[in-house]
Amino acid sequence: MSEIQRKKYSDKDKNTIFDQEFMPHIDSMYNFAYRLTFDEDDAKDLVQDTYLKAYRFINSFERGTNAKAWLFRILKNSFINEYRKKSKQPSKVDYQEVETYYNSDNVDYNMTSDLRVDTVKDMLGDEISNALNSLAVDFRTVIILCDLEGFTYEEMAKILDIPIGTVRSRLHRARNLLKEKLKGYAQNMGYDTEEEQ
Amino acid sequence: MDKNFNSSSERKLNCKDVGKCFKLLESILDGEADLESKDILDEKLEKCQPCFEHFHLEKVIREVLKTKCTKHMVPVELADTIRQKIQAIK
Repeated sequence: MSEIQRKKYSDKDKNTIFDQEFMPHIDSMYNFAYRLTFDEDDAKDLVQDTYLKAYRFINSFERGTNAKAWLFRILKNSFINEYRKKSKQPSKVDYQEVETYYNSDNVDYNMTSDLRVDTVKDMLGDEISNALNSLAVDFRTVIILCDLEGFTYEEMAKILDIPIGTVRSRLHRARNLLKEKLKGYAQNMGYDTEEEQ
Repeated sequence: MDKNFNSSSERKLNCKDVGKCFKLLESILDGEADLESKDILDEKLEKCQPCFEHFHLEKVIREVLKTKCTKHMVPVELADTIRQKIQAIK
C-alpha cells in the first residue's frame, strides 16, 4: 500500500469505492483468512481488521486498479504482523522442508512425480484440502493466490512483496510438496500409484 | 494415464531438456506464457511422453485445487459488522 496519498476522496466516493470495489471480495477474503488461520473467529477478525484498514487508507487506493489484490496485500500483512503470533493453531511449518526448498530461486524442474492423473481426479475434496492445509504457510499462500483465486504472477509478487522469479519458484516447490502429500494419501488409502506396479 | 488421452506409443520416452520444458509447461498452465509458447506446447505434447505426463498431472492438480477445495461460507453477520464499525469511525 503506498503511503503517498494521491488525492482525498469525498465521503460519497469513499462509500462508493468501499461498496462497489471492496465489499464484493469478502467471500475470497474470508476464505483466504480461514486457510491462513484455520479458525473461524480469527478469520472473521482478520477480514474485519483488513476492511477497517482498507477504509482508513482508502485515499492510497487508486480507483481502477486491482482492488482485490490491494485488499489481499493488506490481509496478508495483517496476518503476518498480528495473527501469526497468536494463531490458535500452532504453525504447521516443517522447518526442514522449508530449509530444503526455500533458500534460493534456483528450482530443479527435473523432478518427476509418479502420482497418476486418475488418482488425483479420484481424490475427495477433503484429501485435497487437507494436503493444501498441511503445507507451510508461505507455500500454502502461493497456491491459494494462484489456483484458488486466480492471481497472476505479477499480482502475487505485489501482494507478497517478493520478485516474480521467487513467486514462480515458490509455486513450483509448493506444488511439488503438494504432490508428495497427495502421493502419501494415495498410498495410505490404497489408491493405485505407479510405484506399486 | 487417462483413458481419453491418445496412445503414447508415438511419443519419445525421454526428454532431453526436461527442466526447461517443465518450467514452460507450468507457466502455460498458470496463464503466464505467450502464444508462441503455446505452439511449442502443442508440439511437445504430441511428441514427448515425459512432457505429456507432466503437463496433464500439473493440469489436474490445478483443476482439483480449484474445484475441490471447498469455499468456507462467510458468516452472514460479517459484512454488517464491518459496515457498522466503518460507520462508527467515520
